[in-house]
Amino acid sequence: MKFHKTAPLLVSAILLFSSTFVYAAEDHSQHVKGSFKSGPEVTKVCLECHEKQATDFMKTTHWNWKGTPNHVKGLEKSSKLYGKANMLNAFCTSIEAGKDGIVHEACDKCHAGYGWTRTNYDFSNKSNVDCLICHSQKGNYQRAAIGCTVDMKSMEKGAMDLDLAARSIGMPTRRNCGYCHFFGGGADAVKHAGLDSTLEKTTKKQDVHMGSKASGGQDMNCQACHITKEHKISGASSMMAHFDARVACTDCHTGTMAPHQKSKNGAIINSHAASVACETCHIPVFNKAQATKMTWKWSDTGKDLTSEEQFDKETFSKKKGSFTWAMNVTPVYAWYNGKIERYMAGDKIKNPKKPVIMTKPVGDIKDKSAKIYPYKLYTGDQPMDSKYKYLGIFQQHKSLWDDFNWDTALKNGSEILPYSGKYEFVNTVSYISASHEVSPKEDAVQCGECHMGGKRMNWKELGYKGDPMKIGRRGFKK
Amino acid sequence: MKKFISSSIFAIFLAVAVLSFTSTASAEELKMLGTISKIEMAADGKSAAVILKDTKSGAEVPILITDELTLDKFKDKRIIVDDEIRCRYDNESGKNLSKSFKKTAGC
Repeated sequence: MKFHKTAPLLVSAILLFSSTFVYAAEDHSQHVKGSFKSGPEVTKVCLECHEKQATDFMKTTHWNWKGTPNHVKGLEKSSKLYGKANMLNAFCTSIEAGKDGIVHEACDKCHAGYGWTRTNYDFSNKSNVDCLICHSQKGNYQRAAIGCTVDMKSMEKGAMDLDLAARSIGMPTRRNCGYCHFFGGGADAVKHAGLDSTLEKTTKKQDVHMGSKASGGQDMNCQACHITKEHKISGASSMMAHFDARVACTDCHTGTMAPHQKSKNGAIINSHAASVACETCHIPVFNKAQATKMTWKWSDTGKDLTSEEQFDKETFSKKKGSFTWAMNVTPVYAWYNGKIERYMAGDKIKNPKKPVIMTKPVGDIKDKSAKIYPYKLYTGDQPMDSKYKYLGIFQQHKSLWDDFNWDTALKNGSEILPYSGKYEFVNTVSYISASHEVSPKEDAVQCGECHMGGKRMNWKELGYKGDPMKIGRRGFKK
Repeated sequence: MKKFISSSIFAIFLAVAVLSFTSTASAEELKMLGTISKIEMAADGKSAAVILKDTKSGAEVPILITDELTLDKFKDKRIIVDDEIRCRYDNESGKNLSKSFKKTAGC
């Protein structure tokens, strides 16, 4: 019994100790000498001491860009691997388009490896691992948009120092992770809710965990929450089929750090936890410092529309179509039981008049394991093969972006999925999890925003007959 | 005496309020798209003077940068001369103080 009381304290102490240990990375400047001319030359030196780490890394989704679809409802028993490598989304859509993966080169700017420009890439070759992208702290390490390697142009311009990058190895900072994750969807702040480059240096007001100490925040690095074991980084993206491990607020907020202990309404607030996720109240809005893309109509590609400015971002690009942007977005809310419903390449679209659900949380009011979570509701359109009734894969680089011809782009992109020769545009909808930019407690959602006439929650859509404060909460038989 | 003190406090408060309102109102927010032709860091590293060449008009506009995030990008050369920038700034007492300074690049 005594142990039960002290266990949370013990766990917290262990976590604190281990995180302190993790951040105290060794100074590598003494070990990594060189003049380096390429990324793989640096990796060769890293491997002299870190062969195990490279082997570990090569088992992760950050390397393979796919894994068992443990996040997707209905695919629990699938032996096929899914991930960024072979899934479709409603942003840049697919990395598979084009003969022998011709577009890989630009997408693979964010692959933590060298040379994945074609489909026959050797995923078992350790010397291709790019250690610097996650571990380099100085020297402005950059990867090229073409060639899937170090950005030689930056080196030539004097904007990058590869030697300094190699000598400054350390535990990843927010900038390291952000090099890719802040720029999901092709540019800063496009894809993820509340995850953009402003978080590199921010305040408590924007994010209590990442905000600077001077502003009262914790200045935490990503891996403080995304706990990493043998290079497997925890976190389940609402768009991805696989996760290596999960992140939960209660990983830290338990025991002495349990929530609402000092709140005079603590018991009432805690009683919400059976149905409401922490994020729902503590992320009242997302994208506080920079606008995020809310809609993307690929069907406007090639048109001569006028681009307007919305929150300092363009609303139209001839190559990509039209967009809308928003800041300080109030999330939409949906039940999530730990699984997602996900459109996979080749899935037949039953009713093209209805929006195709690209990703949506699974769960409902009757599901005891589900809670209400906040989401960015992202909508758009993209081409569907009119005969085969699946979303088409189209080649952008060296095809659509050159002549704006959808038919050719779909033909050129049909290496994986055949193209019938006829296409039409269908609407899509994606529920993208809002799990960053946790606000200070004084900014958390207040009772009246949801209850007693508050409009934040659409209770009927969530399956309630009305405000649960009036009609009672959902109940389950014991 | 009490009345005098409270009246004085009220007068000071009013003056401060009016002055702050006036200064806010006079700061004009401007936007531009341009390429960097010069970056000059201050000796203490707490500000930088940048010249942006307007993409449309070709005019050279001096911009003062004080936010830490952008200054860091100058220091480690993530933003360099010739980069295209979308900038929002306030024209305050003759100085163009940057409010947002971001590279336009995306894939």
